[in-house]
Amino acid sequence: MPIVPVPNPTFAQKLKRFFMVDLLKGLAVTLGFNIGALTDRDAVAGKGIYTEQYPRVRPDVAPRFHGAPRLNMDPDTHETLCIACNLCALACPEDCIDVIPMDVEVVVAGKPRRKKVLDEFIFDTSRCMFCALCQEACPTYCLELTQDFELATYSRAGFVWNREMLEQGRETVKYEA
Amino acid sequence: MTEFALAAPTIVDNLLLKFFSEQTVNYVIWPFIQIGAVVTITALWVAYATYLERKISAFIQARLGPMRVGPWGLLQPIADGLKLLVKEDFIPENADRWIFFVAPYIAVVAAFVVMAVVPFGPDWAVITDVNIGVLFVLAVSSVGVLALILAGWSSNSKYALLGALRSSAQMVSYEVSMGLAIIGALMFARTLSLSGIVSAQASDSIWFLLYQPIGLVIFMISGIAENNRAPFDLPEAESELVAGFHTEYSGFRWSLFFMAEYAAMVVVTAVATTLYLGGWYFPFVYRLTEARGHHTAYVVVSLIAFLAKAGLLLYLYFWLRWTLPRFRYDQLMDLGWKWMLPAALINIVVSALAVTILQGLNGFGGMRTIESTTNGLNLTATGKGIAIAIGIANLFISAGVLSLINWRSRDFNLKKQRRQIRLVDLPKGKPAIAPDQLKIAN
Repeated sequence: MPIVPVPNPTFAQKLKRFFMVDLLKGLAVTLGFNIGALTDRDAVAGKGIYTEQYPRVRPDVAPRFHGAPRLNMDPDTHETLCIACNLCALACPEDCIDVIPMDVEVVVAGKPRRKKVLDEFIFDTSRCMFCALCQEACPTYCLELTQDFELATYSRAGFVWNREMLEQGRETVKYEA
Repeated sequence: MTEFALAAPTIVDNLLLKFFSEQTVNYVIWPFIQIGAVVTITALWVAYATYLERKISAFIQARLGPMRVGPWGLLQPIADGLKLLVKEDFIPENADRWIFFVAPYIAVVAAFVVMAVVPFGPDWAVITDVNIGVLFVLAVSSVGVLALILAGWSSNSKYALLGALRSSAQMVSYEVSMGLAIIGALMFARTLSLSGIVSAQASDSIWFLLYQPIGLVIFMISGIAENNRAPFDLPEAESELVAGFHTEYSGFRWSLFFMAEYAAMVVVTAVATTLYLGGWYFPFVYRLTEARGHHTAYVVVSLIAFLAKAGLLLYLYFWLRWTLPRFRYDQLMDLGWKWMLPAALINIVVSALAVTILQGLNGFGGMRTIESTTNGLNLTATGKGIAIAIGIANLFISAGVLSLINWRSRDFNLKKQRRQIRLVDLPKGKPAIAPDQLKIAN
């Protein structure tokens, strides 16, 4: 068994070991955190409390965080902004968007015309990787990935969002702060 | 209002004397009231020790801990207790049922009975003053080991049995140094009665911590090891033994073991407070209350002083638990037999020397060191100085002698272990790499 030489401890190191400096340092660290938890309000810079009381206090997600999808509506008329152009479905690398349009009869300048409008919008969040390429592709700023992150459901089918869910948002239990 | 609260014991006493004889009141009814109070307060203290443990561990890890039950989670112990009460009382197949039933009760009783002799304060704040108090504490708290062995054996489970084996070996080996560590303090107190030890410190206006710093260190380390608490929690090492001796216990029986563990912690802190931190004695309290005629205030303030000191030591338990990693088994035994036991013996020798030196110097060249020996060893200011100097010197004496003893010790020779990095898989004989060619990155 080869013996690897390790340098002898210096006198200072021996003294440190004799007075158990490392033990005291460890105790000082834990005591510092204990006192900091009671007094320090700043968790990031100081020794305060890092954790959040999640259901009561919603965590601050990063500004560029991509979460649950949403179909935006015109705030005045409450009609969808979607023009059923299918660009989002084409942009999606995971192929998880289905835009189902329908034709409606409209009268433009006294002449009957056919117009393509949105009938149903299927968004499979179980396959989505939240890249937001659909959001980039949308010409009318209709499809948007919001900051909401509570996407868990009880079944696989629950991951598939239809137009109503995308427009209204999903119902989650909100706790009082 | 405060006048009424302070006079309450007298009022109750007068009321009781109308119905019972004086003897019945003094020797039956008041002790029962005291026992009830102590058991209730200890049980509550044990419950809230679990809460404090969770809170302090959370704070040390920058978490919040229990927050949902009541304000700041203050009702959490009650919720936990209720949950444990309604859980299934599971008994493993082929378990020794009777012993399995009895073991938790032995643990709890052994932990709680010690409270009978602990002096929480002067006068009515102590249930009974046994003149062999220290021996009683050591004897009864050792019965706790029996509960662990019985629980481990009767569970019919390998983890429980191994946990019980470990904890009994650990408790037996640390009890030796615990018992020996006390002797130094007893030399200065000259009595085994716990109240006597406190009054020996009170009449001298000093805490034995100053005479016996190493004694307190040994006592606390041995106490932590006795209670199977981290960093000596090998019997309950989750990664190896699931939960140790109480693996097979559930529901209320498990909670009894849990209570026993925390009650034993409270007992160790209470005894350490009595022996080394002056018990209920606190400077200036007597002069400000009893000397001015406020007897009840004196008792209450002393009681609070005692609980505060014991609480500080209890915090030490939590603090150490969340700072230090667990000992390896051989390190545990080494610490017990090669470090704690010799240190306790050195402490006895040095304390005996200190007492002899004090007696020898008394009357030597007109110097007075010992005032009287009526209430412990009452020292003059010079005597106190000498005793404290020897106590502090004892720290260095013990450290020196211990390193001499363990200098060539094979298992604990950290110096040698640090020098060698063993490469296990290489064949014996010629080294694969010549040592001088090997370059070590710093």
